[in-house]
Amino acid sequence: MINEHIYRRFNHTVAACFVIYFLFPQYILGINRGYYLFLFWVLILAIEYLRLNKELNVLGMREYEKKRLASFVWFASGTCIILGMYEIGAFPQSLAIATIIMAAYTDPAIGEANKKFGDKGGMIAGLACSFLIFQIILGTLFYSILGSIIAVIAEKPKLKWFDDDLAIQIFPITILTILSLIEGAPSLPQNVLEESL
Amino acid sequence: MKITELYIYLLYITVIICTILFFVKEHYIIAGLLLLGNSLPGYAMAISLMEKNEN
Repeated sequence: MINEHIYRRFNHTVAACFVIYFLFPQYILGINRGYYLFLFWVLILAIEYLRLNKELNVLGMREYEKKRLASFVWFASGTCIILGMYEIGAFPQSLAIATIIMAAYTDPAIGEANKKFGDKGGMIAGLACSFLIFQIILGTLFYSILGSIIAVIAEKPKLKWFDDDLAIQIFPITILTILSLIEGAPSLPQNVLEESL
Repeated sequence: MKITELYIYLLYITVIICTILFFVKEHYIIAGLLLLGNSLPGYAMAISLMEKNEN
């Protein structure tokens, strides 16, 4: 049998590849890339609909996900919201890229550290991982520190109706974007990728 | 199970292609992050796949 735990973790980290979206040209076959994004989200919802109706067996699901939305739906929804908001100019590209990669790696890092070192270890690993990614991509200490704290806090609550995979993306990017708009706030690089394919 | 295995190989291909594309476009930091972040779970997944195939 395939180790389902490792399978789940690998699925999670591969989600960082969503940032390839920023290399896509604005129009593909004459259709705006935003429509492809919407189509992708609908596809994810369709898979989840089939899974919940027991018409599709998806490996790596947790016990509690049998009767509620699975974490991959929450994660994909969060990423689609971020990319959609980027398309309408609400979120800067730099934050969108940093947040998607951060969310893909920080959540598994917290999970693994929680298992090995307990809650405090998980929190420290989460802070370190998210800080490092924000700092490498944004290069601004102010946003990296704040972003990592918000990400770890957002990941903590375990609610039935709102998954941490969505929270860890939406809260940091929204708060950091609002902060960057305040007069006197440290400047935030808007674009880290200039060229598309 | 065969479909799951194919899906896992697709995940590997996705990571490799995305990393190469970012590398080609000289976005070395993003390419490096994609490669590094996926290397550990990717390695563990490969071990799990090999063990499964041996059994």
